[in-house]
Amino acid sequence: MEYLIHLAILFSIYAILGVGLNLVVGYTGLLSVTHAAFYGIGAYATAILSTVYDLNFFVTMLVGVVISGVVSLLIGLVLSRFDGDYYALAALGFNIIVYSIFLNWQSVTRGPLGIPGIDRPDFVSANWAFLIMSALFLIAIYYLAQYLGKSSFGRVLKAIREDERAIQVFGYQTHYYKLMIFVIGAMMAAVAGSIFAAYITFIDPSTFTLNESIFLLAIIILGGLANNKGAILGALFLILLPEMLRFVGFPTDIAAQMRQVVYGLLLVFLMLYRPQGLMGEYEL
Amino acid sequence: MSIIPQLIVNSIIAGAIYTLVALGFNLIYSTTKFFNLAHGAMAVVGGYVVFSLTRQLDFSLWLSIPVAILVAGVIGVLSDLLLFRKLRERKASSMILLVASLGLFTAIQAMIAILFTSQFQTLTTGASISTVYDVFGGAITQTQVVILATGLLIMAGIGLMLKYTKLGKAIQAVGDDEEVAKIVGIDTNKVIAIVFFIGSAIAGVAGLLVGFDTGLEPTMGLALLLKGIVAAIVGGVGSLYGGVLGAFLLGFVENFGIWHLSGEWKDAIAFVLLILFLIFRPQGIVKK
Repeated sequence: MEYLIHLAILFSIYAILGVGLNLVVGYTGLLSVTHAAFYGIGAYATAILSTVYDLNFFVTMLVGVVISGVVSLLIGLVLSRFDGDYYALAALGFNIIVYSIFLNWQSVTRGPLGIPGIDRPDFVSANWAFLIMSALFLIAIYYLAQYLGKSSFGRVLKAIREDERAIQVFGYQTHYYKLMIFVIGAMMAAVAGSIFAAYITFIDPSTFTLNESIFLLAIIILGGLANNKGAILGALFLILLPEMLRFVGFPTDIAAQMRQVVYGLLLVFLMLYRPQGLMGEYEL
Repeated sequence: MSIIPQLIVNSIIAGAIYTLVALGFNLIYSTTKFFNLAHGAMAVVGGYVVFSLTRQLDFSLWLSIPVAILVAGVIGVLSDLLLFRKLRERKASSMILLVASLGLFTAIQAMIAILFTSQFQTLTTGASISTVYDVFGGAITQTQVVILATGLLIMAGIGLMLKYTKLGKAIQAVGDDEEVAKIVGIDTNKVIAIVFFIGSAIAGVAGLLVGFDTGLEPTMGLALLLKGIVAAIVGGVGSLYGGVLGAFLLGFVENFGIWHLSGEWKDAIAFVLLILFLIFRPQGIVKK
């Protein structure tokens, strides 16, 4: 049972990440490979503020969300100059730069040693209570994403994805819209990061590498772009998959690599036979 | 003793390695117009085939190296025949090709980690530590001399091939406009397959050279590939000599950048260089 609760908490975290990234990739068509950086900013904010300054969990989360918002605004301003392949490449570059900062700014992040002993708030000290809290965050973020998608803001974003030039003719400042959704997605990722840090109580830079961003991309591409339910389904599938491999009886280190083989091939076959993913509305 | 000569030597060696990756990447990009991330996996394949043949099966080095290059090339061709060609024929967007190549890269890298463990391995055996030469106060190993010579030789070879052979002209034609190339009777699929072979084989060479110089790791492919792409873009995408200039510029910027910082910053420095170029000179050093 504890094990199922553990999986459910992980699933909630990845589903939040997926929903946030899907807003960016699904609604604008821009391949943002930098989501793990904002996930990391949220996690580090909670880790540092709770261990060094002993602040309340929700305060640390709020600070993380704000920092992530500011950083993503700056990164987004640079990224908004690009599209297509170059956007993906520059985004990937920012992930590597932010990761290097986690790794090398040792006076703040303790570098590769990581930050142990992160406080978990008292009222969620039991895992089932923690699960309820993560699930509530997931539900809140899911409905926020649904609302954004249906709002006039979301419709403008979809229009940008289909034909940016045409919507510019109507007087919309398209880069402003793209920047806004990028910042919103990054803030959602910071929420997931805070939850992750409080749950695992230890973080180090290796969680927030480029590979993690690629994994998140696999989640939303599998689930289906521009569909919030798809992002959640993708997270469910890719979280359960390695566990199934473990039950088949592979040793842990091989199971970890098998997971990579499976989701790598999954991306290949999706691109070949179903580029819109399981429930997607939009093809890259 | 001044550290500058050593920094210069290190920069040149890094530049030679990046040149090889950028050359192959550029060749494939200029004909297919997508960012082939699987290209990084071919370098890993090259390195590990040599490892497997010499260390596990006791083959001689002189047999292992050509076999490794051949294997990398063949896997490159297969990736085109079984995957990228199908996507091209369906007129898939370059984003789809990019994601597919990312998936292929992830899968190949993980398979290599399963076969050879994810531990760091060296290709050089303990007994034969290579000779070290002194160049104006900087140390350079025999392996590194070979790296430099190979880099320049392959660059010159590709340059001559593109300029003077029929195949080279066909490659350029496909790069300029695939439809027109088809109309004038060029078998574009065949040309692209050959390009995949040459490009992947060169990546294999880069991978095995890195294996001899510093060592092998399944994850080295992504780092190498990203440096190759940065070099190609900084130099000017699709331009052969631009890529070479970009590779050496990147080598120098990285190695001088970490002079007062720790080596861990190298990757960040490379991407700061890339982003600066994308903002201020997106066409790269050599405009095509």
